[in-house]
Amino acid sequence: MSNLLSLSDYLPEMILLGVILIAIVMDLVPATKRFTKGFILVGLILVAAFLYQGDTSASSLFMGMSAHDPFGTFFKWLFIIATFFVVLIAKYDDGMDQSIAAEFNILLLIVMFGLFLMATATNLVMVYLAIETVSISSYILAGMLRNDIKSNEASLKYVIFGAFASGLMLYGFSWLYGLSGSTDLTIIRDVLMTQEGPVFVVYISILMVLVGIGYKLSMVPFHYWTPDVYEGAPTPLTAYLSVAPKAAGLALMIRFFTMTFTDGAGETVANVDWTVLIAVLSAITMTVGNLLALRQENVKRLFAFSSIAHAGYMLMVIPVISTDSSAAIMFYLVPYLFMNLGAFFVAIAVSNHTGSYDLAGWKGLGKRTPLLAALMVIFLVSLTGLPPTAGFIGKVYLFSVLIKHQQFYWLAVVAVINSVIALFYYFRIVREMYFTDSDDTEPLRPHPILTWSIISCVIPVLVLGLYWSPVIDWVTASLKMF
Amino acid sequence: MSEVFFILIAAITIASAIWVVFSSNLIYSAVALLFTLFGVAGLYVFLYADFIAATQVVVYVGGILVLIIFGVMLTNKIADNRISHSSRPRFMAGVISFFIFVLVMTVIFTTTWHTGEEQIATATVNTIGEMILTTYLLPFEVASLVLLAALMGSALLSRKKHG
Amino acid sequence: MDNLTSYLVISGILFSLGIFGVMTRRNGVAILMGIELILNSASLNFVAFNRFGGMHRLDGHVFSIFIIVLAAAEAAVALAIIINLFKNLETVNVDQADSMKG
Repeated sequence: MSNLLSLSDYLPEMILLGVILIAIVMDLVPATKRFTKGFILVGLILVAAFLYQGDTSASSLFMGMSAHDPFGTFFKWLFIIATFFVVLIAKYDDGMDQSIAAEFNILLLIVMFGLFLMATATNLVMVYLAIETVSISSYILAGMLRNDIKSNEASLKYVIFGAFASGLMLYGFSWLYGLSGSTDLTIIRDVLMTQEGPVFVVYISILMVLVGIGYKLSMVPFHYWTPDVYEGAPTPLTAYLSVAPKAAGLALMIRFFTMTFTDGAGETVANVDWTVLIAVLSAITMTVGNLLALRQENVKRLFAFSSIAHAGYMLMVIPVISTDSSAAIMFYLVPYLFMNLGAFFVAIAVSNHTGSYDLAGWKGLGKRTPLLAALMVIFLVSLTGLPPTAGFIGKVYLFSVLIKHQQFYWLAVVAVINSVIALFYYFRIVREMYFTDSDDTEPLRPHPILTWSIISCVIPVLVLGLYWSPVIDWVTASLKMF
Repeated sequence: MSEVFFILIAAITIASAIWVVFSSNLIYSAVALLFTLFGVAGLYVFLYADFIAATQVVVYVGGILVLIIFGVMLTNKIADNRISHSSRPRFMAGVISFFIFVLVMTVIFTTTWHTGEEQIATATVNTIGEMILTTYLLPFEVASLVLLAALMGSALLSRKKHG
Repeated sequence: MDNLTSYLVISGILFSLGIFGVMTRRNGVAILMGIELILNSASLNFVAFNRFGGMHRLDGHVFSIFIIVLAAAEAAVALAIIINLFKNLETVNVDQADSMKG
């Protein structure tokens, strides 16, 4: 579609851009400075409203640069929800530097814009730009606590690993361009399909693309940055990074691997069997994530490794080339969003009291603040993947894909073993909360907005554990890609 | 004649790139990087990419390289050799990079790339300008947003601290 | 000499040298130089393919413009981060920045 006609399908993004620009100006004017956060929240609701209004057809926008399809829209909803929560609670984290709260929120919106682009990109130029939009803003956000050496280190590691990964990915892109003569994903697929395989260059290009996307997913062996960045970054950002860019990376991966690197009939292009590669990497990712999580004493690092493990669970179904695997990933992302955000918000509430993220600070929380402890237990049960929570249903869907297509049974076995390992470290937190006593018996008093955010995260986790058919219907309707 | 020029430029590019990664003094590395970047710009001229060559000189040499030299000078005492050179075990890195080099060469020499009529030498500015404002309009606009974020971020990170 | 393969070989050499630089250097600014080499090699590839591959349009040229633009943005942010770290820690070596372990 031409550029001008595309604008009508691009209203949510344009509203978002408008909100970003107005918020920047508002923050500069002393009279309006204190309304910036409220304005951003209202703006996000407006973006959501326009997203809801948008039509559900699939079309190509901006002369093949971007897609407008239900698949992308599904992910955009996840990004809006995550951004809304993080903007809402960022102010109530005592670790944040409040003098730069507005810049934090504005950069978060720019990250969100990049995530929108990642979920809809259909051209190599767009893929690269989208990843860089997300990355560059995230580097800055990670280093925002300027007086905190950990935050400085986090952003240094993030920028160096990130720039390196995107450089490798670009080199892979250049080969794809040299092979196909185009930067358009569908044309690349058409050209790759005509190749008599197995073609060595395609294999190496896929590997290089995998570095760039795997970095965003914190897939092993591209995960080195994850624990340090998660620990050093401001916690609201950590919560965001563990959810939104991962979802966008998966969206990009589905578009890239199950659309571009397959021939549309369940076969890989050019006889390059990348499915085994991803299956092995997925098994390694979940195992490394879970094993390293076992010996963490810092809650943020623990959840960093837990999020690596979860990326592994979701990658598990990518080797099964079918729409079932995309559906399972998309379904899993919904509870994953809420349980991870919720767990991080509880961690913020605890650290506001103790001043650190050491696991020792959680001692006796069950007695001191029963409500918060109980909510945390629900998140942990869901993260482990036990009934009656949504995490369990999500895991069942992931496993059922492997069983239904009768592929990679060994991967399902690895995942089950991993879920058992995960039980140990999640329940270490439960043990600290309920079975150890603390000298500090003072109850926590989190800000009401923080408490209510946690409660609104727990509702979907519980409800979707019992009644999940609406989400499945939504996911099924969202499988249509351009 | 142009053959000689090509070999000369290629040799300068590669030799100075080797210097960039092996030199033990960061200032020398930065100066060597200048020659590499100029060499790549020269190769762009050979590839009939006049506009890219100019952009390379203006943005890379005039912008990024100056930034890097500032970075070196602000974070290093030039006389202090101790800071400038401290490398990780080079042997393993050398083996890995050599392996990657062999891999890349294998790909280059075994692949049949997309072929067609070779591009002829014309001024590219008009076409590039037109493409940026038609096909690549969205990336163009997004790039401006990225630059805005980078501007905000760098100002934020290097701003004077409170208290 | 003036053919696709020679350009690809030059780019391949720059790419491998860039990776070597990133792996051996500990100074943040020096690592950044290695990354610039990698970005240059990718950009060179795009332009070379554009000339010899029979591409009808100048997609490769436009791609390398975007690479240069984003490299500039990335370098600016990276150096702001490095200088910020230097002010707090008096070092820019990546492995001396190790207050976090585990």
